[in-house]
Amino acid sequence: MFKVLKKLAGKKRNKRPVGSEDTLASQASTKDQSISYQIEDNIKQVKKIFHYPDNKDIKLRECKIGASEKRVAIFFISTITDVRTIEDSAIGPILKNKHPDATIKEMIATQNITHLSTMRDVVQNMNTGNAVIFIEGETSAYAFECANFQGRSVEKAENEVVIKGPKEAFTEKVVVNLSLIRKRIKNEDLMAETVTISTRSKNEVFILYIRNLANEKLVDNIKNRLKNLDVDAIQNLSLLEQYIEERPFSMFPSVLYSERPDRATSFLEDGHIILLMDNSPDSLILPATFWSFFHTSDDHYLRFIFGNFARFIRAGAMFITIFISAIFIAVTTYHSEMIPADLLLAIAGSREKVPFPVFFEILLMEIAFELIREAGLRVPNPMGPTIGIVGALILGQAAVEANIISPIVIIVVALSGLTSFTISDVSLNFALRIIRFIFIFSAGLFGIFGMTSFFVMGIFYLTSLKSFGVPFLAPMSPHYVASGDTIFRRVLKNENLRPGYLKPKDMKKKSDEAVK
Amino acid sequence: MKQNNLIKLIFLIPFILILTGCWDLKGLDRQVFVIGIGLDVSDEKGKIDITYLIANPEVGTSFAGGGTEEDTVMTVTMRSPDFLSLRHSVNAAVAREISYDLLKVIVVSEELAKDEEFIRFLYSAEKDREIKRNTYLIVTKEKAAEFLSKNDPKFLTRPHKFYENMIQRGIEVGFIPNSELHHFFRVTEEDANLFLATYATTNIRQKEDEYRINEMDALAGDVRIEGETNSANFLGAAVFLEGMMIGTLTGVENRIVMLLHDASSITDILAPIPDPFHEDYELTVRIRKQHNTSVEMNVHDMPPKIHVTLPLTVDVLTDPSMENPVDNKKKVEKLRSTMEEFMETKIMALVEKSQKEFKAEPFGWSLYARKEFKTLKDYMEFDWMRTYPEMKIDVDVEIRFGQFGRQPKTPSYKGIRD
Amino acid sequence: MKQNEGKIGIRDYMAIILLTLGSKVSDDTPTLLYKTAKNSAWISMLGIALLSLIPILFLLKVFSVHRNKNLHEINLHLFGKVMGNLISMGVLLLGFSSFVLDTSVYVDIIGSMYFTRTPTLALYILMLVVCGYGAKRGIESIGSAAWLTLFYLKATLFLALIFAFTKGNLKFIFPLWGPGTLEIAKTTGSKLSIFADFYFLGIIAPLVSSFKEFRKGTLWAFAIVVVEITAALIIFVILFDFTSIEVISYPFHETILYLSIGFLSNVESMFLPFWLVAAFIRFSFYLYLVVTLFGGIFKIKEFEYLVPVFIVIVLFLGIMPKNLTYTLPYLREMILGILSPLFFILPILMWGMAKLRGDFKREAEQSH
Repeated sequence: MFKVLKKLAGKKRNKRPVGSEDTLASQASTKDQSISYQIEDNIKQVKKIFHYPDNKDIKLRECKIGASEKRVAIFFISTITDVRTIEDSAIGPILKNKHPDATIKEMIATQNITHLSTMRDVVQNMNTGNAVIFIEGETSAYAFECANFQGRSVEKAENEVVIKGPKEAFTEKVVVNLSLIRKRIKNEDLMAETVTISTRSKNEVFILYIRNLANEKLVDNIKNRLKNLDVDAIQNLSLLEQYIEERPFSMFPSVLYSERPDRATSFLEDGHIILLMDNSPDSLILPATFWSFFHTSDDHYLRFIFGNFARFIRAGAMFITIFISAIFIAVTTYHSEMIPADLLLAIAGSREKVPFPVFFEILLMEIAFELIREAGLRVPNPMGPTIGIVGALILGQAAVEANIISPIVIIVVALSGLTSFTISDVSLNFALRIIRFIFIFSAGLFGIFGMTSFFVMGIFYLTSLKSFGVPFLAPMSPHYVASGDTIFRRVLKNENLRPGYLKPKDMKKKSDEAVK
Repeated sequence: MKQNNLIKLIFLIPFILILTGCWDLKGLDRQVFVIGIGLDVSDEKGKIDITYLIANPEVGTSFAGGGTEEDTVMTVTMRSPDFLSLRHSVNAAVAREISYDLLKVIVVSEELAKDEEFIRFLYSAEKDREIKRNTYLIVTKEKAAEFLSKNDPKFLTRPHKFYENMIQRGIEVGFIPNSELHHFFRVTEEDANLFLATYATTNIRQKEDEYRINEMDALAGDVRIEGETNSANFLGAAVFLEGMMIGTLTGVENRIVMLLHDASSITDILAPIPDPFHEDYELTVRIRKQHNTSVEMNVHDMPPKIHVTLPLTVDVLTDPSMENPVDNKKKVEKLRSTMEEFMETKIMALVEKSQKEFKAEPFGWSLYARKEFKTLKDYMEFDWMRTYPEMKIDVDVEIRFGQFGRQPKTPSYKGIRD
Repeated sequence: MKQNEGKIGIRDYMAIILLTLGSKVSDDTPTLLYKTAKNSAWISMLGIALLSLIPILFLLKVFSVHRNKNLHEINLHLFGKVMGNLISMGVLLLGFSSFVLDTSVYVDIIGSMYFTRTPTLALYILMLVVCGYGAKRGIESIGSAAWLTLFYLKATLFLALIFAFTKGNLKFIFPLWGPGTLEIAKTTGSKLSIFADFYFLGIIAPLVSSFKEFRKGTLWAFAIVVVEITAALIIFVILFDFTSIEVISYPFHETILYLSIGFLSNVESMFLPFWLVAAFIRFSFYLYLVVTLFGGIFKIKEFEYLVPVFIVIVLFLGIMPKNLTYTLPYLREMILGILSPLFFILPILMWGMAKLRGDFKREAEQSH
């Protein structure tokens, strides 16, 4: 039977899409030319590459140098450049030039100007928003920086809200993001290397780490992994995350995704590695452990006791959101003896007129809750709250009054839904919600025995998970020397070690004298 | 890769099997909950009449979708060899599955409890997983079926609450013993002690001359209680020897047993005691145990000797003779000596009763005897139960006075009457 | 990142021992002791502990000179190829049969105490699948899982025992010497194999990060387990008394059935999941041991793939004995009876062989 299946699978894989043509190769071949002595040829060549004038925002300005009367052509893409800069610093000075011997570098008044010798460089510079200048009688072109990509300004963090502490979030412009991080780490050892990860769209990723902290092997490992990607385009970090993670089918995320520069910075300072990208209002933090998904930056901004109280509540909420529905099913259908007598009678009494078994009842309401949540997310903004009210109040109330659902089930499901919101990390949030359904099924099949079986398998799975070589539950198990920030955090003064599982070059975060 | 897939598939197969599961599943709405089981003698040998007291879950709940006007409980009586098979046979009359999850009490009529066969029936309770070892055993004067159906608690509409509260309070004040099945089995198997079970009845005497004079020195049903209250009394204890009922103890006697027994959870006792200063009146005292009873034993003498010291703290709460004993050392001494004497005679009477009438003891003294032996064999040869009736026992009550009420002094009677 | 691959630290190692041996209080091991030693079972337990210390110390001595070898490799080294293989096979056979028996005891407990209507087969399958999954994940995973859950498992056990203690009567442990010193000594001798697990732990000896940690972990865990089991044995007696304890088949479960905590009058289903987690981890570990030993003897490198095969074999063997409650104690006692002298003699024999071959001397020379 296997063989048949295998064959079928194999056949499918062998089928190639019809009429496939390697357009990327032909695109590349046109660029593999050097710059000609004849400015006419160059202009023609660039026009051909960029399909001028069909491509509407490709601009060409031809003029002559004021004194020497040499022909000059300036190419740029108007939508991603700052046109004023081009006018003020390039076109103006060229036209007004008085010295016939002056080189182009002496004429143009921008912060830097680079020398380009191949057409490939020309194209790349134009694509990144620079303007390129061709000059009559020269076999090289010049590019100067005038990129101006459009984007939002720095705004408040929306998904990872804190009460105390900085409010700014990453934006879609990587330069801004980098600046937000540099603002926090004023150290020359903060490295921001770039790797181009896609062949067609030429997306660039910034790899940030602190050179004398981060483990070199880890940095190399990640760089290699990024370099070995062979894809046409990776638009942003959310997609990149899926390309570099080790277990795409795993329920648990292995890369942390944060929109807060302060959070990213604190991970950098522990020896983690951060990835930034254009078009991504967030950062990827790797390697990530389970605890980093569970924590929020508020935990450390709040005082020791308050932060830990929040952690305690969150841990409880996590337990409730995974287990309460399942426990309710298990207890009412398999282990009714453990319910206190009055509650047992109350549940039994309320269930007498309800048509469905408990398992189905819970499942129905859980699905309804997920529906409300998904719908609430997708509806246009002004209608969002309305959906919530309709869903929660009307649906629940009506279902109870129509004797479809017993009121206790509403309480249970509302609790499990509500508590799921305490986990702010999107990936972990999804994971928990799906796991909840698995527990509901296992409780429906085997009661507490089924739940425990699944739980133990989950524990085994979690303990064998690794994110970039770091065990998922480290430093709790396997044990590593670290600052001890797992379920509960310690007093800030005592968190003086970097996590050992990252093998940082410098373990100590602060000396003992510093805190006295 | 191929092997890996195979393994995954093998792991999956059991889950498909399991999908056909849900064997132990029981919907709550498909069950009825038995609060009490009553056991009565039947004319047929090897069978007993069993009564279920079944609670109605819908009573006392107020949910949207309409309430109910149904009865709180129902009782069903059937003849059966044990209470396991009955769970199904009773479904001839009851619509849903019988559940013992809320089982609180097993009620046995005095008639059956005195039967030699009784132990056979009760032991089936140890086999059923759902019958918990902390179920209480109650002996009733009338038939258990009659008790369960006649008992109509006021205020506590949910029957399990009534039994729970009634028994717990009764144990706290010492009117009834802690008669968990666990203790019954343990004591019966140990075969050295008496087991005390709660004694209760709804059969309350109506004629005036049948009341007992001292209120609590009586059994359930003998006490004069007027007004519209619960129709059941829980007072006193049924005495079991080797799994068979052989007698009863009154409420006061039960209190004495509980005072002497270290394992009992009695907190404090409020009791009237004759006033040494005026024979017409009684003082109310609160009696508490200072620490464990000390029992000294000499098992190697013939007959063996036991010396028991009972350390008590007594708060004298009333002073009807208005003699103000607090001020006067002599009066305090008098109070102490009469009180100790009073208690000692009461206790000794009970000890004698246990030696003569029951020929075994309910005080848990056999545990002290165990310490005197090195091995179980020696202890068995000593045979506590046979030796007990001949033992020389004396009890010493040591009283320490605590408070004398909220306001220790009262004005003298003569002063007011002036 | 890979230098620590495949090794477990002292915490994980101790957690495994504490779970595998500690959960013996909750199966029928106490019953086996009570049967002959009655209310003095705890004294015989102390005796067993004292006596077990001898083979354990000898074993540690042998392992101290063969730090990178597991039990099977040491057997081969000490006894030669033929004898070594035979001994390992014998050990494997005994370990495997006690694994089968232990799992069927657990399934019997679940079936008779909690899931009365579910077929044994279904319970058995689910249990073995979970254990198989754990065993396949390897020793690191089992160790981590054990360490992560250890605290909660022991805390609930402790809670149950504390509540049982408050309900019990301390005087029940008298007469102190129960059925007499002779009976206690007999029990001690015949039930020595309760700690035979320590012999099997030799299979993972080279997987513990260092020998120092192995020794420290073994001895500490041994001490804790002895205290734990002894305390449990005392508590069961003071709750049930010697007459009842003999007829109860699973004292721990009878205890939690009897307990009530606060407003919860029936708490057994609350303790059930914790007990189950311990059981799952315990059997995952046993299965891992059996499969590793098997792989070692028959030179199968990727022994993880043997797990499903073993599961199926265990399943067929485990459900074979009809009338579980009837035959299980008998079989268990038989296995324990065989294991007891072996557990005592084998380590001494190993030490003797090592001495003869001069392994200790070589070690001493090397260290100088």
